[in-house]
Amino acid sequence: MLLVLTMVLALAACGGSGKTTETQAPAAAGTEAAPADAGSEKVTLDVIISQYGNYTQAWWTDFEQNFEAANKDIDLNIEIVSWNDIYSIVTTRISNNDQPDILNISGFADYVADDLLMPATEYTSEALQANFIDSFWASNEMDGTVWALPILASCRALFVNTELLNGAGITAAPTTWEEVVTACDAIKATYGDTVVPWGLDISTDEGQAAFAYYTWNFGGGFVDANGDWALNSAENVQAVEFIKSMIDGGYCNAAPYTDTRYPLQDAFSAGTLAMMIGPMNMVSSTSTVKYEAVSIPGNGVGLGVCDQLMVFKDPAVKEQDPARTAAISKFFDAFYECETYSDYMVYEGFLPATKDASDNLAKNAEKYTVGGDSGATGSSEYFATFCAVLPTCSFYPMQKAEWMDVRNGVIDVEQQVCQGLISAQDALDALQAEVVG
Amino acid sequence: MKNRAKPETLRTMKKIEPYIWLLPSILMMGCMIMIPIFNVFRASVTEISKVGVYKEFNGFANYISVFKKQTFWHTLQNTVVWTIVVVGLSTLIGFILALVLNVEFHGRKLVRAVIVFPWATALIIQSVVWKYIINADYGALNALLYNLGIIDHYVNWTATPGAFFAWECFVGIFVTVPFVTFCVLSGLQSIDASLYEACKVDGASFWAQLFKVTVPLVMPSLTVSTVLNIIYVFNSFPIVWTISKGDPADQTHTLVTYLYDLSFSNGKFGEAAAVSVIGFLILAACASVYMILSLRAEQED
Amino acid sequence: MKKNPWKRVCLYLFVFAVCVIILYPYFVMFTTAAKTNEEMYSTTAGILPKEFKWSNFIDVWSAAPIMKYMFNSIIVAGGATLIAILCGIPAAYALSRMKFKGKGFFMGAVIMSQMFSPVVLLVGINRMMSSIGLKDSLLGLILLNAAFNQAFAIWLLRGTFTSISSEMEQAAKIDGCGTVQALVRILLPMAAPGIITTLIFVFINSWNEYTIALTLISSDVLKPITVGINVFYGFNMIQWQYLFATSIYATIPVIILFLCIEKHLVAGLTSGGVKG
Repeated sequence: MLLVLTMVLALAACGGSGKTTETQAPAAAGTEAAPADAGSEKVTLDVIISQYGNYTQAWWTDFEQNFEAANKDIDLNIEIVSWNDIYSIVTTRISNNDQPDILNISGFADYVADDLLMPATEYTSEALQANFIDSFWASNEMDGTVWALPILASCRALFVNTELLNGAGITAAPTTWEEVVTACDAIKATYGDTVVPWGLDISTDEGQAAFAYYTWNFGGGFVDANGDWALNSAENVQAVEFIKSMIDGGYCNAAPYTDTRYPLQDAFSAGTLAMMIGPMNMVSSTSTVKYEAVSIPGNGVGLGVCDQLMVFKDPAVKEQDPARTAAISKFFDAFYECETYSDYMVYEGFLPATKDASDNLAKNAEKYTVGGDSGATGSSEYFATFCAVLPTCSFYPMQKAEWMDVRNGVIDVEQQVCQGLISAQDALDALQAEVVG
Repeated sequence: MKNRAKPETLRTMKKIEPYIWLLPSILMMGCMIMIPIFNVFRASVTEISKVGVYKEFNGFANYISVFKKQTFWHTLQNTVVWTIVVVGLSTLIGFILALVLNVEFHGRKLVRAVIVFPWATALIIQSVVWKYIINADYGALNALLYNLGIIDHYVNWTATPGAFFAWECFVGIFVTVPFVTFCVLSGLQSIDASLYEACKVDGASFWAQLFKVTVPLVMPSLTVSTVLNIIYVFNSFPIVWTISKGDPADQTHTLVTYLYDLSFSNGKFGEAAAVSVIGFLILAACASVYMILSLRAEQED
Repeated sequence: MKKNPWKRVCLYLFVFAVCVIILYPYFVMFTTAAKTNEEMYSTTAGILPKEFKWSNFIDVWSAAPIMKYMFNSIIVAGGATLIAILCGIPAAYALSRMKFKGKGFFMGAVIMSQMFSPVVLLVGINRMMSSIGLKDSLLGLILLNAAFNQAFAIWLLRGTFTSISSEMEQAAKIDGCGTVQALVRILLPMAAPGIITTLIFVFINSWNEYTIALTLISSDVLKPITVGINVFYGFNMIQWQYLFATSIYATIPVIILFLCIEKHLVAGLTSGGVKG
């Protein structure tokens, strides 16, 4: 009896599935008509936000509720995506002509190259434009147009576990690369295998950051003084060779090729890693480790990272719908509103990109709480210090069209050189030729 | 007239009947798999921008630039090694395990239950656990061996690309063995016990018995599991991707992780599509060899 | 063979070693799930945690909507299994009982369809699913899983059906049964072991599927468990203890399912495999 039933269901289900696909195929061809039908009065905005911490989702869920309550005509559809998956998810959506309305990611040049983005001035009020810290606003400029908004910033510094260093007889954090090596030797001699002296991440995840830390502080970098690619400079060769010497010297974590920054940060917070370069919010709030954050050895050039929010054109229409643009403006006005934005910065532990929030947090950071249930609040002193440091940081040349190729290229160079497959000079020469030629 | 028409329609009905039975599954696979496959072929001859916008037809340019890459050839070699090693060793180990499990002993049921575990665990979970186990700085394997006194200082299990790849193969084997074991076990169970009795009477050695009776009779089961495994292992993604992402220096890629890396890390969708078509052609060639062989076998029957 | 005690000892040693190796990752999963975050990165760890933090196993339920993820996984795996088997049975029946043109071609196409890994087809799949409006929906995921398991289902079922003699069905037909009735009343009950095996296979494969779900599903509330555990692989830290606790929860149902049908598994594979 049961079997008869299943069989009937089988035929029904199969017939059904066949029909729906058949009837829906022609409907899909006429996509022009579909949005017009659905375009009642409510505007829907698809927003993709990168996952900055373990509690990112919770903050945005609240934001979505508040925003929708205040703007009944806008339906926000916020999706939190981890950094692991965000590029694959976004590109898949773009090749399906299904791009989000608003995207939070790092890097925008490739989207500009395909003419997918709206210029930032089209959807930001003048008041908001003026409120962004000037250098951040300008950093998203390409060919004379600003294409994205800075969502938040962070800067990288050298973190040292002072207890471990003191225990090994090193009283001050290293300021030169030679001192780094000396400190590593001392730590190795004192703690043996139980402490990793130097954390290194040259994985595909963020190997370009390592390239930046070392080349900048050996006097080189991605570009020369004119802003042209200068990947094979003598300083860069020296820097990459130094990375290799750190691995060969046995100072680093065992698998720098696959270890991303996150387990390293956790190991530092747990006290089993003595030194690493990382973002200013990297030490876990529950950590009991005594540490110090100092300038990166060498030239003391920090890495500033500034992620962006950008708006995609609606691919279905030629003329952008003013209602959609207005909704997007409202979204940004709500997000960058001083209280809301300050709250988010403390929540995630990043530095604000707007003037009023910087001022506010330098005084009132204690008003806001850090994400999660630790109950910790922000520290005004911390924001005052790091907001001041930020202008001295250098940034990736993200506005250059070849940036993504260079980013992947330098990671390949680091890995190949450190594996001993090719010399630093040859690898960088080849990369330079590939990028420029 | 009517009298003649009826058998006519009946015959047509008879002719098209099988196709009606096949229809649901044809529709299903046609829509869900064939359309995307068509898409891949199209993408492989199209210029696609870094963020996924389809531009124009560019002939074999994608294929040519793939062939020019050293990494591609290394990856191809890795894929062959990966498939042969994982399928080969899994089949061998699975076969031995099945032989053992076919013997009566106390706790056999329990052991059979345990062997199911790796099969029943999501590959992604299995891969993450092994990644944690083999971590040289804080991983579980070093802690275990150190505390047991087997090693006197922590070992870097993944010092070279080869070591990474070997671990990946190990995990691949680990998750593939149960399937083979159960396939062979099912084959063994269909063997008539009297055949073994006959062997004993003849005084045949263990090995003679194995190769004269057991192997030929479980051959069909082994063939099924091997063919399926070749396809699954060749196309396996989570193990290599989770443990090494193809690194260090792109030395541990297989075709599938390589094309994922090409498309989603490097924005080379056209080239990635070309790699998938190449992978498909390789598998298709293997499959036709298999089909020809099995057709011949059927004809001999 | 049975008389030799040494062989017995060797057998037990071998079997014991195999079990230890197989169970080791589960042991690691379990002990790590009970560790504190600090001990996770200890370079002087023992085999067992210094202090068992059992609360991890409870806290994890509030750290992420695991219930929801599990529920989604059940829906997807269950739905995919149902559809795959309902489409697979008629196809396997036709392949095993009827003669027709294009049979070889169809079998070839079935095998071919398995040769592209879903990873390879990601972009195409997403493009198609958004054009029929099934992106970010459980139904889309169900159909895809059913399709990708179709070939396997047909193969196993065809083997099972072929191994069963058609005499009984012929007799039933003479008695006035239709083809469908003969299939449902006579063949299916006899093929039960093979069908159960197929069911389980498809269920497990769909339950464990990761890459399609990762790119197809964007809403948090629709994520299956394999994708859902990614929340513990966050931006600033990896919460290994929660990751592993959830992994255990995600694995237990499948293992139980497997254990329930272990007997049928061998029987089902036997009938499916013989004429494979």
